[in-house]
Amino acid sequence: MTRHIVWNGQDIRFADGETVAAALAKAGVFDFSQEGKAAAKSVFCGIGQCQNCLVLCKGHGIAEACLLPCSDGLQVQSLSTAGRAAHD
Amino acid sequence: MTDRHILIVGGGPAGLTAACVLAEAGQRVLLVDQAARIGGAIFRQPTRRPACVLVPGAQKKRWLRLAARVAACEDRIDIRCSARFAGLDYRGAAMVTSDVNADGLIFFPRAVILATGASEVVRPRPGWTTPGVTTAGALQIALKSAGAQPRGDIVLAGSGPLLLAAGAQLAHAGNPPLAILEEGRPFAHPLQGLRLPLPYMQEAALYLTTLMRHRVRILTNTRLLGIADSMGRKTLTLTSNGKPREITADHVGLHDGIEPNDYGLAAPDGLNIVRAGDCRASLGARAAEIDGEIAAQSVLATMGLPGSSVTRCRLEHEVLAQERLRQIFRPARPVNVTDLPAETVICRCEHRTMGDLSTLAKNGPVSARDLRLNGRFGMGPCQGRFCLTWASRALGGAPDSAELRGTRWPSRPIPIRAFVNAVDQTTDT
Repeated sequence: MTRHIVWNGQDIRFADGETVAAALAKAGVFDFSQEGKAAAKSVFCGIGQCQNCLVLCKGHGIAEACLLPCSDGLQVQSLSTAGRAAHD
Repeated sequence: MTDRHILIVGGGPAGLTAACVLAEAGQRVLLVDQAARIGGAIFRQPTRRPACVLVPGAQKKRWLRLAARVAACEDRIDIRCSARFAGLDYRGAAMVTSDVNADGLIFFPRAVILATGASEVVRPRPGWTTPGVTTAGALQIALKSAGAQPRGDIVLAGSGPLLLAAGAQLAHAGNPPLAILEEGRPFAHPLQGLRLPLPYMQEAALYLTTLMRHRVRILTNTRLLGIADSMGRKTLTLTSNGKPREITADHVGLHDGIEPNDYGLAAPDGLNIVRAGDCRASLGARAAEIDGEIAAQSVLATMGLPGSSVTRCRLEHEVLAQERLRQIFRPARPVNVTDLPAETVICRCEHRTMGDLSTLAKNGPVSARDLRLNGRFGMGPCQGRFCLTWASRALGGAPDSAELRGTRWPSRPIPIRAFVNAVDQTTDT
């Protein structure tokens, strides 16, 4: 059985133990921004320090994609402008 | 409560060694780590599937020995992974939150050992915010924890031994980097290398032979000046031995050294807080184990408990070795941040550029307040970790980066939900 997370409405496969960032990278998704915003929205430091890979995750709220473990059906989306404001 | 836990933040070599020393002395320890498994960056273990990562045999042995020591005292060490240390309040209450469960905790630790390891230093360069440009350490962590590496051409750039280690590990895993761009000239004086301790030379030999076998080009005295992106393919502008050059790649791993990961780690007066390992001074994994032991012994001593003496000369040995490594990798040309083009992003979070910095500086000296409130530097979710040092240097050193950083909790954004859900054990004491 293959397992998926849902990224911006699209199914992305993941393997056991992968983070959201790892699963997205495997699927060729490196830009996590909604509409090519100017500020960085992709994995940079990979260890939760730079906060550049923040995504909005159902049940978790705003989380670092590089730390967030995948689970079947996990719904993850780009951070909207509203989400960014809420994080300040 | 008589049997209060000692809190250790970070499950790398320093934190784990400290935990063992304390547990072996009869203390109870709560150890938190933000990663899914203990080991830290150096001993990062695969999350589930075994990943075949090139590491020196001696390093593997050190991890097995440490893991066995931890296992032997697991009844006294409460290890919480995917968990975070939010901070300490003025009373000395610590808050720990969990990423996966709603089982946060607010409690009075008997003492705190901060063993949060190192951060990578990455100098701003035009194009460094492009997706597909990460730190070299991020590539290494992805490889160690999930056996994952990007497809396409990888170039590693910057300076330091980590570039060679990461390059060799990527090559061993099946995708050798197109090139490693090193600002220093580490091979210019081979005799210098011979003065390193034997384990350092063995490690270097492993990485260098792997890189040679996979024909990875190592360009020394080479500086990456900028990255231009076109549909994901990146053009890298360099100067190599004084000559301009260009190469193209799909992924870039940047790394300009390491520094203690101690950003904003405030220590309220009167609390028993000790720093250990790379979080105190970036001396590497071998030193971190020794330093973890020293930290634990000092905690035991402040609690009036007997411990054993630690031979500090072993630490001195590592300090000397790291200093030699720094000399070997010293950039061949001085680094001048003020030369960066105006479009260079300094603050990654809010996309504030060199140009924005110049505008601020037009009307005279920039205060820390100006820089933050008017310039919006250091105001994003990373809290200035990745920009304030460079903003300060680009402004000629004033305001000073230590003043800009300040010390305040939390060291990382924490959802309000975590505060609501946390079990508060401090109210009944």
